[in-house]
Amino acid sequence: MIQQKLREKAKELLSSKTVDLIIGYGSWTLPLRTTPVFIRAPEGVESLVWNSFCENNLTTYLHKFSRLKVGVVVKGCDARSVTALGLEKRFPNHRPLLIGIPCQRMVDRKKVKKAVKGEILQAVEQGELLLVKGEDFNVTLKREDFLYSVCQVCTHRTPLHADVLIGDPVEESPLVDLHPDVKALEGKSPEERWEFFQKEISRCIRCYACREACPMCYCSECFVDSSRPRWIEKSLSPSDLAFYHIVRAYHQTGRCTGCGACERACPMDIRLTHLTQKLNQEVKGLYGFETGIQPETLPPLSTFNPEDEQEFIK
Amino acid sequence: MENESITTWEPKILAFLCNWCSYAGADLAGTSRIQYPPNIRVIRVPCSGRINPLFILKALQSGMDGVLVSGCHPGDCHYLSGNYVGRRKSATLKQFLEYLGVEKSRVQFSWVSAAEGVKFSQVIQEVTEDVRKLGPLKNFVKR
Amino acid sequence: MKFKLDKKDFENFLKDLMETYDLFAPVQLTEGVSVFKKIDKPEEVNLTQLVPQKSAKEVFFPQSETMFRYEMSENQSPIVSEQKIGRERVLLGARPCDIEAIFIVEKVFIGEDYTDVYFLEKRKKTTIITLACNHPLTTCFCSSTGGGPFRKDGSDLFMIDLGESYLVELLTEKGLAFSKNRFFKEAGSKEIRLVKELEEKAAKKTDSSIPVEGIEKRLDLMVESPFWDRIHEKCIGCGTCTFLCPTCHCFDITDEATNQKGERVRNWDSCLFPIYSLETSGHNPRPTGRERTRQRLMHKFNYYPKNFGRVACVGCGRCILYCPVQFDVREAILYTSSRRTEGRKGKFK
Repeated sequence: MIQQKLREKAKELLSSKTVDLIIGYGSWTLPLRTTPVFIRAPEGVESLVWNSFCENNLTTYLHKFSRLKVGVVVKGCDARSVTALGLEKRFPNHRPLLIGIPCQRMVDRKKVKKAVKGEILQAVEQGELLLVKGEDFNVTLKREDFLYSVCQVCTHRTPLHADVLIGDPVEESPLVDLHPDVKALEGKSPEERWEFFQKEISRCIRCYACREACPMCYCSECFVDSSRPRWIEKSLSPSDLAFYHIVRAYHQTGRCTGCGACERACPMDIRLTHLTQKLNQEVKGLYGFETGIQPETLPPLSTFNPEDEQEFIK
Repeated sequence: MENESITTWEPKILAFLCNWCSYAGADLAGTSRIQYPPNIRVIRVPCSGRINPLFILKALQSGMDGVLVSGCHPGDCHYLSGNYVGRRKSATLKQFLEYLGVEKSRVQFSWVSAAEGVKFSQVIQEVTEDVRKLGPLKNFVKR
Repeated sequence: MKFKLDKKDFENFLKDLMETYDLFAPVQLTEGVSVFKKIDKPEEVNLTQLVPQKSAKEVFFPQSETMFRYEMSENQSPIVSEQKIGRERVLLGARPCDIEAIFIVEKVFIGEDYTDVYFLEKRKKTTIITLACNHPLTTCFCSSTGGGPFRKDGSDLFMIDLGESYLVELLTEKGLAFSKNRFFKEAGSKEIRLVKELEEKAAKKTDSSIPVEGIEKRLDLMVESPFWDRIHEKCIGCGTCTFLCPTCHCFDITDEATNQKGERVRNWDSCLFPIYSLETSGHNPRPTGRERTRQRLMHKFNYYPKNFGRVACVGCGRCILYCPVQFDVREAILYTSSRRTEGRKGKFK
């Protein structure tokens, strides 16, 4: 069982002092959730878990522990974040040790919540089934019907460049389809696309959960806090909300791994991945680039090719 | 009253011109007395690669109906590769804005050299007409 | 005075209400996301989500509020226009925890030395119709913080969902203004009995075991505890808990201006943002998440009690439900009571 192997490996890494700290997933107080755990002592590895609720991208914590030797549990997307961060020279002291686990695709807890009536008290995984219990209900759901949209279209579930791989590499699905939200918008008119975007971000409360959950958002001064120049205000005007999301997504061009942490963190259920996934598609189409695959290939916006596409330039 | 304001509306276009080529090209159009629409407001930048995509967004947010970014032809950049870097930013931003629902012709890009006074006036002509057809920008403007 | 309001009359009751009052009630923005908003059409009101993401504090202390507008005119003093509340307001559908929270925030905004006119005016002009909680969630610990799912304190009218109808109790003078409402029927003994049953059932469900009692003194001894070094690690420093919390009340004031005109706006701010305490010199007295997380918990459970005599937490559970990394304030409180290295399920080492 992967969870057992993970704990054993973690214990080995901590006991041998290969790492000072392991960041992983632990179970906590609510069903359908895990929580990030920070383990320093070998005995602590018993709190590590691995299941379909390990939705956070733990690499966002790496900057907090740059002085330590850190081992971090990563899924396919998370591992690519580390490669991307490495290219941006974010690990001057110790490169993190990647404990890669081939991902079975994560379950969208918000989708599960919508499928039942009442508070979920317990959720247990049993192979490809999800047993969900509440006070007045007890249902069996098919796990594959409740996956996150980014997970549905993922083509890199096996962590690349992992130092340790727990479990066997999974067979990757070829890219068969676009992200469902992006696909739905492709055929629509500009007015309809703007309306969709507007409607989603109109719920935004500027909590910046999306920004903080993203491992690539690490600027010491974010553009929203800039006062000279003052790009946007802190109020909830529709124009500023649009500006914030357009720019935050755009700042991920060529850097985003499509992990979906932004969308999962949002308390207002804004479908943020319809922005980042489009940008990833663009970058692949224009420059043949996918974040975090080749450790040596520079991100597209930090380089150029004299033969780049320029049909759009007069 | 509504009709009146529509017929008297003139597109406002912000033009970022690189100092060494496009701005000089604009100058040449001026000294050669070549007519071009007065709808553009020019901001001179050292290089088209200096353009931060936030400039374009801020322009639209502030009520500009269209934005033009113009630089040196590939290979002719005063800073050697600035326009190449700018080209990638422009391409990705343009596709993204179109996807979001900002009309295709609101944000445009061109290469205009210091000797191309005529081309400059043609570009301005085209961009102004394109934006005029689209009407004033309604989405995204900060009221 | 107790009345019965049939659910089939509810929309018309709201329509009537909206002719005299500005109505504020929960609205579902998308499935699973609700906020308190000014109602334009009675059909918008949605009472199905027990804990809307944004709390009722929005009604008295909006996230973005224009304090005044000004316009420069030549050779004259600037014209300043203030925002005034026109009509009387009704806040309908907030739960007892949110109402309790309004009193907590009120102590800060309406004080001995200073009164916030924006808050005060809204407070004075609002009639509060609270809705009881028949099915508290497992994350609800209002009964640990001095509240309860059927607590009526602070309400002008108190509503209980009986299935096919609501029981409405008029509690204050503002409430009595509704005594002649044409949709209110007499409440019978059957209704009263049902209320008692529901109340008893609900009281058993909220969590009374969280040791909030005495936490102020316990935290006094913990200011430099190594506990803070660990607990902050998973917090990513967003503002979700602070913005969703019904008692958090920090704000920032900015001027949004062009050359000729502008407005002064008050926006919510979060003590968990790094720049919150950043000084002009560049010094930041709360430089890392450790200091900021400590500050937040101390403010809620130590500083506020020192100033106002009770903890600034109503046990609504929003911070537990919506935190992106599942920070659980209950575990933090439990830790302070045991001073062990293990909380109830926690692993604070």
